Formats: sequence, structure tokens, C-alpha cells
Amino acid sequence: MTLFQFSRRKTDLTEEIESHLKMATADRVARGESPADARRAAMREFGNVLLIADVTRERWGWLGLELSMRDARYALRQLRKSPGFTLTAVLTLAIGIGGVVAVYSVIEAVLLRPLPFDSPDRLVRLHEGIEHQLESADLPAPDVIRFSRDNRAFTQLGGFVAATFEVSGAGKPFQAKAERITASMLPMLGAQPMVGRAFTQQEDENSSPVAVISYALWRERFQADPKAIGMTIDLDRRPYTIIGVMPRSFEFPLDAGRLSHRDMWVPMSFTPDEKQDEVDDFQYGAIARLKPGVSLTQAGDDLRRMVASIEAQIPPQYGIHLTSNVQSLQEETVHGARPLLNALLAAAGLILLIACANLANLLLVRAAGRRREFGVRLALGAARRTILRQLLTESLVLAAIGGLLGVVLAVALVRLAALSLPDSLPRLNELALHWPVLLVAMGLTGVTGILCGWAPALAGIRSDGLNSLREGSQGAGQGRSQHRMRGTLAITEIALAMLLLVASGLLLRSFQRMLATDPGFEPQQVLTALLSLPGHDYPTQQKVDAFYRELLQQLGSLPQVRSVGAATNIPVIGMNSDRAFVPEGYSPRDGHNWLTVSNCFVFGDYFRAMRIPLVEGRYFTADDDRPDAPLVAIVSQTAARQHWPGVDAVGRRFRMGGNPQSTRPLITVVGIVGDVRQGALDQAVYPQMYEPFKQSGRQWEADLTQASSPRSDLHIVLNTAGSPSALQPTLEKTVHQLDPLLAVSEMHPMEEVVTATETSRRFNTGILAAFAAIALALALLGIYGVIAYSVTERAREIAIRMALGATRQQVLLRTLRHAMALAGAGIAVGLIAAAGLTRFLTSLLYNVKPLDAGAIVGAALVLGICAAAAGFVPARRAASINPMTALRAE
Amino acid sequence: MATKDGYQNRIELLQGTLDMLILKTLQWGEQHGYGISQSIRATSGEVLQVETGSLYPALHRLERQGWVKAEWKKSESNQRAKFYKITKLGKEQLASDYERWGKMVATIEGIMAAKRGAA
Repeated sequence: MTLFQFSRRKTDLTEEIESHLKMATADRVARGESPADARRAAMREFGNVLLIADVTRERWGWLGLELSMRDARYALRQLRKSPGFTLTAVLTLAIGIGGVVAVYSVIEAVLLRPLPFDSPDRLVRLHEGIEHQLESADLPAPDVIRFSRDNRAFTQLGGFVAATFEVSGAGKPFQAKAERITASMLPMLGAQPMVGRAFTQQEDENSSPVAVISYALWRERFQADPKAIGMTIDLDRRPYTIIGVMPRSFEFPLDAGRLSHRDMWVPMSFTPDEKQDEVDDFQYGAIARLKPGVSLTQAGDDLRRMVASIEAQIPPQYGIHLTSNVQSLQEETVHGARPLLNALLAAAGLILLIACANLANLLLVRAAGRRREFGVRLALGAARRTILRQLLTESLVLAAIGGLLGVVLAVALVRLAALSLPDSLPRLNELALHWPVLLVAMGLTGVTGILCGWAPALAGIRSDGLNSLREGSQGAGQGRSQHRMRGTLAITEIALAMLLLVASGLLLRSFQRMLATDPGFEPQQVLTALLSLPGHDYPTQQKVDAFYRELLQQLGSLPQVRSVGAATNIPVIGMNSDRAFVPEGYSPRDGHNWLTVSNCFVFGDYFRAMRIPLVEGRYFTADDDRPDAPLVAIVSQTAARQHWPGVDAVGRRFRMGGNPQSTRPLITVVGIVGDVRQGALDQAVYPQMYEPFKQSGRQWEADLTQASSPRSDLHIVLNTAGSPSALQPTLEKTVHQLDPLLAVSEMHPMEEVVTATETSRRFNTGILAAFAAIALALALLGIYGVIAYSVTERAREIAIRMALGATRQQVLLRTLRHAMALAGAGIAVGLIAAAGLTRFLTSLLYNVKPLDAGAIVGAALVLGICAAAAGFVPARRAASINPMTALRAE
Repeated sequence: MATKDGYQNRIELLQGTLDMLILKTLQWGEQHGYGISQSIRATSGEVLQVETGSLYPALHRLERQGWVKAEWKKSESNQRAKFYKITKLGKEQLASDYERWGKMVATIEGIMAAKRGAA
């Protein structure tokens, strides 16, 4: 039966009774009674109309609901009568519930919602690595081909690798983010172009110049014109035909961050070089779809089998052991986001708990204030059950209003979050409130209402009705257990707030440490930009070198430029290359047949432009660029310490590559420079090596020197006397004078680049600090409430004490001591909890131990001082009680 | 028979009796609540006074069980009233109620008679 039917039945019954009364009245009138008398008599004969209606309705099993609605109306009336209480309670709850709901909706979007692909639970990502040397990474290109051919566990397997292209022929030239994907990829994901088509296996194998573009690019560059299909654009100055447009919602790969979107997808079309590459390049992603019935473990076994057969072909003296593993794509995508989101959910949950404790406290005080009312009602015969039900309804109504407001708050918070969440979270574009979230909100509201209301409701009716009447005013003997309960609640709040304060203190200190970290260079006066020379127009290393030489020379002659250089990689942008090398006379240690460093080729005056300090030896000079100059390298302090332990690295020689027997030329270390941070400042330093750009082609075996394709991507680094951003137009103009089509991308003052790496931590820290502040405020409200109430309650006792000679100061101190005792106990409990729980934050900390004394002492101090302040207000009121007035009031 | 069951039987008997009387009354034709109470009162020679507090819950229970159907109509005095009508199911129920009632009366009568004999 629906509620509509219920209400119809209710009016139906009222009418039925009314018609009964009318007929009875009519009969009496017919017998000669006056209409008024007749009506009165009929009513008398009928009995208690409301009661009979109730009992009758009960036959339909709807009375329970009706009583609840009546209770709810009653509760609303009660709440309207005390707006102060209601407002505090509702806001407290709204903050608690809203926080949890907002955080949960982020978690739902990022962690829980299935990936936007076909049967995403059957998609896995494949990894390979080298034991002791390369942790689980992607695959070398040949393995992508091999595994799609040889596997037994997958119905489909697809490879992908990021690429950037200079795009011309569609408006102003720009640098596009593209993904090279195998033809199997889109069908495997269950994704189809919304306009046009995807490329075929044939096109992939034949290296057909076709591209599927993103919805965004289609809108931006082609005004969403369907005629874009079939048009030609130049990618790195080679013409490609646009064959399809992906739907707006399509994103692949699902990298972390809002800006991870790709502009286009082109056929993987492995080059002959890629097909032959055996060891060096573990950077081709592979995704596969499990065959029906095949488990993750079985897929892992299958991959291990295929990897073992590859390993069998590697000469054993290299001592190379390949590792492999298969991971669920979903898990892989969200893995990195988990620690932060869990910490946020925990924090929001703690706030909700504090809010609950606060509300329970408020309800207790309220119940105590209404003891007289309950006493009267009990004495008049009200069932305890009825009063209990009404009190619970009241807290549920409060929770419902709070929950509603909380959801509104959550909607606002989620909007905000979509803009400000750090780029380290994947799938942020999907952020919105969804029904599972609303379900959680409803559940939370119900649980909160019952949780908060139960104890106070019980306490409210436990009192002996007669006694509470006799006592008249709120007497001294009132509910010792209630005092204890309120004290316990306040202590709990303080403890929870302490926990959050410690957590946010730890993050604040991490952030402080991060800001204090020396990046290893001076970003202040530096402008940087990325240039990528298309192979079509710059087919040889000589052409590339000539372009950069000319560019650096022109830039160097600008009056405000102090030094100018270029490099294949710059600090803090999070790019590491992993290159293997073997020092001369190196004997394998701990199963390491070779050593790895992050390497970077530099051009021009790079070190001086970046202000990377020379520790020993020398920088590169123009002499090193001569074609017959000896091969040289500069290493970072960490590289020198790790790879040449106990000896002076300067003057030592090594060979590139992982083969100790190789005939590659020897390279001599000529200098040691300071460490720079390759990633964000809170990321570990990796050993770094620098080599002259001009020598990059000469590090190979003599017969391979010409075979390698030219390196054409360089980050330009300008050190200027003036403001770096003011130099941007000049840089662009200079580049375009040399090549009008060339896109200048990622042009930023270096300081901005550094700041950008801090945003993620800034966000973590900020949000947790905000949570801690809310928790602190709520907990202080709790302490204040308890003390203030106990002062009101004990006004008489205080007055007697004062009449008996207690000074105002003694009263003040006594009350303050009460507040401090609560705070002390809360801080102690919070400390114990913190000791057990902060280790879960470890992955979010930087250079700070989970039990950092500073954070703990700081949190305790903040709480102590604030608690004293919260206690001081009511304490002063206690001290200002006029004994005569207070006693006379009785 | 255990005491508890006996107690439940007694309740059932009383409840069942009113149900039976209502159903019996409705066998003569459809009737509204007021009419039913008047009719029972008249046919019992003013002895049985059906409490409205029992009548309406009973009527609604019967309706819910499908033994009677209800419909809003005009009464003979042109007053809108809710008329109850016995259903096929209700007639079967009335028959079985009446049979049980007969047994019950006979049994009780037997007990009462035996008691007299023993004394």
C-alpha cells in the first residue's frame, strides 16, 4: 500500500464515522430530539472518535507510520522552540555528514566506480622488470608483439605508448599529446569513435598515416565539423588523415591528473628499431583482456611462462633475471590515490564522530533540562516507551535536517574539489554526486540520529518521575551518571581532535620540510621552454645540432640573458631516464651486472644557466663539442657516492649499456656537480649523469653510431637578469625566426615549474589542516558546553561555597581546572590513539617520522591553550556569581 | 488442552462472534456500519449493544481479509454512507463460523450440564 492509499483510507474512515454520526443523529431527531441534543447524544453513544479511528486504522497496519509522523511533527515543534540548540546541532551535523559525503564521493569517483570501459573487471595491465635493477615497469616493444602472439590467457592484448607531435595544418602549430596504440586497443576497451572509424590491424601494420582525434581537439580546431573526417593534418610535418573522432567522455590512458587527456590516437606501427630493441626500453604499456574463466593468478603464470622463454635467450653470463606481474587495470589506475583518499575519509569520519559526540552532549543537556517535563508526563501515565520514541524521533529529525544540509554542503564541496584536487588523482573528470553516495549519506544520517539520540533519550527517561518533580529545580543530586557521560563525550571529542591535529601537524611539518628543501639549482631567474624538432625536417643529428647551436647563439646575444643552455631533461618535472652503464673494472655487486643512472644530455651553458654548483673537476667546455674530443661526463654527488664508493669519481671511466663485454667507447668523468631534484621536492634524489649533447651519437659501438635516430627534443634554459616571464615573447620570436612552424611548448619561469610540484602536497596539507581546524572548533564547543552547563547547574553550590568564604579566584581556578582535566584526559587518549594510527600516514609524509615530537607537542599545546580559553569563559561567569542572588533564586 | 491455548480460544471466540454476527447481518443485504449496529441491536431484542469501538475495527478487519467488500453509496435517507457487502469468501466463513459456534455452544452446554450433575 502506498502512502497515497494510506492517506486516502484515513479520510475515508473519517467520512465513514461522520456518516455514522449523521445517521444516528437523524434517527434521534426523527424520534423527536432537538438536533443539538441528538448530535451530542450520538457522539456520546459513539464513544471516543479519535481512539476508535486509531484502533480501526491499526487493522490496516499503518498506525506505526502515523505515530512516527506525529512524533516527527511534535519533534519539529519542539526543535522550533529552541532555535539556538537546533541551529548548533544541525550545523554540527551538516558539517560532519557533508564532509564525509564529499570525501566519499571523491573516493567513489576515483577508487570505486568501474573504469569507463567494456567489462573493466576483466582488463589487466602487464608489467616486466629486471631483478635488482628495474622494478616492475612496462614492456619492451618486441614483447608487446610477442605476448599478443604467444599468450594463452588473454582474448586480446594491446600496446600503447605516449608520443608528442608538432601539429600543423589545423590553425596555429602546437605540440599535441598523442598516444600510439595498437589496432586491438580500442575494440578491447569497447570504445568506438563517435564520428568516423578507428584504424584497422592492416593500417597499424602498414604504418598508415591515420589519426583518431579527441572530441576536444575536434571542437577546438575543427569547430566540430563532421567534414574534419578525411582532412589532412601534419604531425611532425608528415601528413596524416583524420579518420575518426572519439566521444567526449573517452579518455585513454587513464593517467592521474586532470590534464592527462590525449589530443589524438595514432597507430602504434612499431618501427624496425623498436621491433629489434631487446633490453633497453621498458616503456610500452600493455593492457589485455582475460579469457573467460581465467583468473589473475593464471594470467600471471602465463606471463611468467612467456617471460621465461625470453630470458632463456639471454646469454647467462649477463646474469639477467626478468620479472613480471599482472595487475587489475582498475587497481593499477587508482593505486596511487589510495593513501590520500583514505586519510581524508578517516579525517572526515573523525569529524563526524566529533559532531556526533557534540550532538549527544547537546541532547543530554537538553534532556536534563526537560526532566521536569518528562516527570510530569510519566506521572500522568505516559508510557516510557512513548517518551523514548519521541526523543529518538527528535534526534532523527535533527539528523535528517543535518543530513539534508550536509548533502547540500557536499555538493558545494565536490564542485570545489573538482577544481582544486591535486593532479595526482586519476579520473577527476568523473567527479559528481552519484546515488551510491546519496545512499551512504542517508545511511550515515540514520545511524547518526540513533547513535546520538539513544543515550540521551535513555538518560532522559531513566529519572524517577516523582523525584524529578519533588526536586523542583535542577538539584544537586541530579544524574551523576549523566555528568560522567557528558565528561566522557567531551574527552572523546578532544581525543579525536587531538588525533586530527597531530595528523595535520605532521603534514604541515612535511610541507615545511619540502619548502625548505634545496632543489639543487636556482630557479629564480630562469625561463624554460620545450622544443621538439620534427624528424621530417630535421632528419639528421647534424641538422638538429645546427638548429640548436644557432638558436642558443642568438639567445645568448640578447642583452638581458646572462647564460643560456639546453638539456634533454630539466629538474623537478619528474622525468627520469634509466640508463645502464658499467664502470671500468667493475665487478658485479649484489647481483648487479651494471649500474643505472638517470642521464641527460646538455647543450651550451646549461649548468651556469641553472646555477647547478660545481663540486669538483670542471663543467663542459666548447672543446668537448669538437667531433674528435674525448668522451666525457659529469656526475651528481649522489651518483659519485653510490657508483664510485670510497674513491674520487673524477677521472674514472665507464661504458654506456649493460654489457660488460661491449666494445663501446670509454667515457671519462670530468666533474661532479651538486644534486638536483628530478621530481617534486619531496621525492627522493636519483643518481644523475650529464653528457654533452654533441657526444650523444658517439657513445655506441662504432658500427651503430650512425644508426640511432637523432635526439631532437631539448628544454631551453635561459638565465636572465630581468624577469623570466618578460622574456617569453623574445624567446618565441627568436625560435620562429629560425623555424616559423616550430611549436614552443611548456614555456614557464622555472620558479613556476617548481611551485607546480608543490601543489599536490599543498592540497593534502591544506585540506587536512582545514579538517583539523573544524575538529578543533567542534571539540572546543564540546568543552565549552560541558563547563558552561555545569556552571549553570552548580550555581547554587558555587554560591554556597562563596558564602562560606571561597574567593572568586578559587572558584575561577576550580572551574578552569575542570576544563583542563577534561582536556588533559582527551589529549592523553588522543596521544595514545595517535601513537597507534599515524603510521598509516607514512606514505604522505616527507622527512618527518609518524611520531614527530614537534607535531605532537604542537598539537597538545594548541589543544591545551584553546581548551583553557574555552573553559575560561564559563569559569569567569562562575566567578562572577553573586551568592545572594543565586541563593535567593531558589 | 493447555491453558494458554484455552485463553487464546476464548479471545478468538469473542472476536469471532462479532465477526459472525456482522456477516450474518450482511447476509440479508448490504448495509453501513450504523445500520449493522442498529440491526444487531434490534434482532437481539435490544440485548446486544455493539460498541462502535469494536464494530469499526471488526469491519475493517473483515474487509482486509476479503470477507466483505465496501462501497460508498447513498442511504435510504439520502445520506452518503459506506456500505458493506458480504463476499463469497465471507459466506463460506460465515458457514464455518456458525458450525463452530454450534459445536462450541453444545460443548459448553455439556460442561455446564455435567457440572450440575457432579455437584
